[in-house]
Amino acid sequence: MANEILSEKINEEYKYGFVTNIEADNAPKGLNEDIIRFISKKKNEPEWMLEYRLKAFRYWITLEEPHWAHVSYQKPDFHDIIYYSAPKPKVSLNSLDEVDPELLKTFEKLGISIEEQKRLSGVESRIAVDIVMDSVSVKTTFKETLSEKGIIFCSFGEAVQEHPELVKKYMNSVVPYTDNFYAALNSAVFTDGSFCYIPKGVRCPMELSTYFRINSAGTGQFERTLLIADEDSYVSYLEGCTAPMRDENQLHAAVVELVAHKNAEIKYSTVQNWYPGNKEGIGGIFNFVTKRGICLEDNSKISWTQVETGSAVTWKYPSVILKGDNSVGEFYSVAVTNNYQQADTGTKMMHLGKNTRSTIISKGISAGFSNNSYRGLVRIAKGAKNARNFSQCDSLLMGDKCGAHTFPYIEIKDKTAVVEHEATTSKIGEDQLFYCKSRGIDNEKAIGLIVNGYCKEVLNKLPMEFAVEAQKLLAVSLEGSVG
Amino acid sequence: METITKKNTIKDKLLSEFELSKNSLFGNIELREHAAKSFSEQGIPNRKHEEYKYVNIDLLLKGDFSLTANKTLTSAQTAPAYFLEDAYNAVIVNGIFDTALSKLNDVPKDLHICSLADAVKNYPAVFENYYSKTLDVTADPFTALNTAMAKNGLFIHAAKNSIIEKPIHIIHISSSEENTIIHPRNLIVIEENAQIKIVESYQTIDASAKTFNNALTEMIIDENASLDHYKIQDENDWGFLVNTTHAVQKKQSRFSTHTFILSGSFVRNNLNIALDGEYTESHLNGLYLTNGNQVVDNHTLVDHRKPNCNSNELYKGIIDGKSTAIFNGKIYVRKDAQKTNAFQSNKNILLSDDGTINTKPQLEIYADDVKCSHGTSTGKLDEDKIFYLRARGLSETSAKKLLMHAFASQVVDTIKIDTLREYVEDKISKRFE
Repeated sequence: MANEILSEKINEEYKYGFVTNIEADNAPKGLNEDIIRFISKKKNEPEWMLEYRLKAFRYWITLEEPHWAHVSYQKPDFHDIIYYSAPKPKVSLNSLDEVDPELLKTFEKLGISIEEQKRLSGVESRIAVDIVMDSVSVKTTFKETLSEKGIIFCSFGEAVQEHPELVKKYMNSVVPYTDNFYAALNSAVFTDGSFCYIPKGVRCPMELSTYFRINSAGTGQFERTLLIADEDSYVSYLEGCTAPMRDENQLHAAVVELVAHKNAEIKYSTVQNWYPGNKEGIGGIFNFVTKRGICLEDNSKISWTQVETGSAVTWKYPSVILKGDNSVGEFYSVAVTNNYQQADTGTKMMHLGKNTRSTIISKGISAGFSNNSYRGLVRIAKGAKNARNFSQCDSLLMGDKCGAHTFPYIEIKDKTAVVEHEATTSKIGEDQLFYCKSRGIDNEKAIGLIVNGYCKEVLNKLPMEFAVEAQKLLAVSLEGSVG
Repeated sequence: METITKKNTIKDKLLSEFELSKNSLFGNIELREHAAKSFSEQGIPNRKHEEYKYVNIDLLLKGDFSLTANKTLTSAQTAPAYFLEDAYNAVIVNGIFDTALSKLNDVPKDLHICSLADAVKNYPAVFENYYSKTLDVTADPFTALNTAMAKNGLFIHAAKNSIIEKPIHIIHISSSEENTIIHPRNLIVIEENAQIKIVESYQTIDASAKTFNNALTEMIIDENASLDHYKIQDENDWGFLVNTTHAVQKKQSRFSTHTFILSGSFVRNNLNIALDGEYTESHLNGLYLTNGNQVVDNHTLVDHRKPNCNSNELYKGIIDGKSTAIFNGKIYVRKDAQKTNAFQSNKNILLSDDGTINTKPQLEIYADDVKCSHGTSTGKLDEDKIFYLRARGLSETSAKKLLMHAFASQVVDTIKIDTLREYVEDKISKRFE
């Protein structure tokens, strides 16, 4: 019975694998300084931005692609990628009516009906969405409502035009272009992304959200998110990703930077569902993302929550630098791999300030022929008095052809630190199944129940609006996939 | 540029020494050449090497090193070395087995202890069967180097069904007047149903210069055999030790290994255990007490190759001064190794502001019906416990000492040889003074 369901799942088509017929404005394939100038010109960028891109590019060409992660894949050919693809017509839009109806259909298929949200605006639904398609921000909703509070929520391109002082100040401050290979690449070629600034003392009244979608063939998506929470502010930010089914591997290399000032709190949630490739492991997205937040001043807090179900190869470590005293970093993750997917994901917690605390809860589930690794770093610097960390990394194996791995790095240089790490690997216990079954719950439901319970700690951290989608995704990915 | 030249110097020197001496060394010359080639490709690992990320071997090997230690010791000089009572004591000076200094009276006839060169002549079948056969000599640069350059180390063979009551104590003595690199090599073969206890101790005597000790011990534990293994690493500040232990376990065998690192400027242990038969059992215990500028690096690998095996690992450390302790434990469960139970625990106490702990417990699992877990914790001495003891009239220092003793005793109590346990306890007490 369970096997039937497993094969059903394995045979299941990727639901989001449609291509939208929108004419796109593409750059020629390849990467050189001219392409970067082309992108910069297309975006009508000021000189300093171009300089920054070129600096990053010149650094990037000196780098070699990293290979330390526990994943194996064919190295992408960086000269066979379209670095700029904008859905046409690209004009500044004031209302949804001006949006290409094809595009709207895409979003409806994705399950984010902007129109509905618009209709409900000011009532119950409290999500402002920035939609990024093939690296270009298409539409930001609720902008007006937000601006009343002084909140800036717009595309990155717009921010460069309208708030250059903020962009200049914070961009590159958390993830410098010299950070790693993909961060350098992103800094050179990023086309758009989201920008958000929450002013002092403002509690953002709604969830902010970005939807990323890769649409055009042969393109890479390189977006950049910059989120700043000024003193005493709070924001909850959501991010979702999908892509069409294609035989080739597409590259997604994003950079996300978060800055939390004094007493500020940022909650950043991701549901990542890029196309994972077919059941033979052909196609799918390479998801190589650099995400980092900094608790710049005292009493600030950054919390990452992620549900990773998609991508052929994931390579992602949302991190927190705990610089301010009493700052808090959190990382909650569920990573699911099936078929030939590979995930190497985890976090880094850098304790620099006094009395800093961090929590890491990571739940990995591997099925099929997949490999799922947790890789994390907890570093307590000298002088980070009374730092506290607790990490828990559990792995669940479904089937005997998959792998689950844990690679925690713990580096401690202060005697007042208390650091704990626990990891377990197991399959669903026969006794747990027996317990459920003896109470009249059938095998599939029992497995669903156990898996849900297993992930609950993380799913509970998701905002309501996202929890529904995440649970649906997990249900599709997991229920009954134990033999 | 300069550092690269220096690095090449020591590597080139080792390789040219190999070319000069290779014909006079025991064993298969092709194997040695194969290993030398691998070492020449890999070089001396630097910090970019993931397995040597936290130690700077380049820096340790800076300066001039002699490759031949010609020093001979007299029994008067080795007297301060720790000889275990009621045991067979074999002495190895700078990697070469020294019969005259050893005390190997009344070794039972089913236990064979001799130099490796003698083993090639006297026990060719055993030597051929096992020497370098169960390990990949190219897997690690130091293993390759040792295999290429090994001089006349020790061979221990316990015949089928033999039960050896007295422990065998291998005393590795480093003693040099100029900076030296040595490559001790031992082969231990325990045949079916045999039971044996082995103690290895590393000590420095009459030294006035650095000894970089690249030691390798191979152990084969055949079906239903049992080996109780202890390592006491107690070199002085002139001692720099890379100690690789490679054990292979066959069906239903039992292996427990205990590592005590008490001193030495630099200690790197590579402990690799392959559970290559069903129903085997392995225990790995370790205790490291570091101080001063010591660097202690423990790498363990438990490779579960067959189903129904158990492994259990416990490493504890107390870190003081400006010392650095590294723990890297890996549990590897292969596809076929269903019903594996593997546990690992690493606990550390950091006493000083300048100490560092880097710990990396890893799980790599390819089978689904397994129970594997690891845990690690690092902290200071519990304030509440200190308070409790002080409220009962103990001074702060003696309260702390008591707590550290209690912390260490979990590992020390696993020593089954009474005289050895007393020796280690005594050493630890002195350290806490």
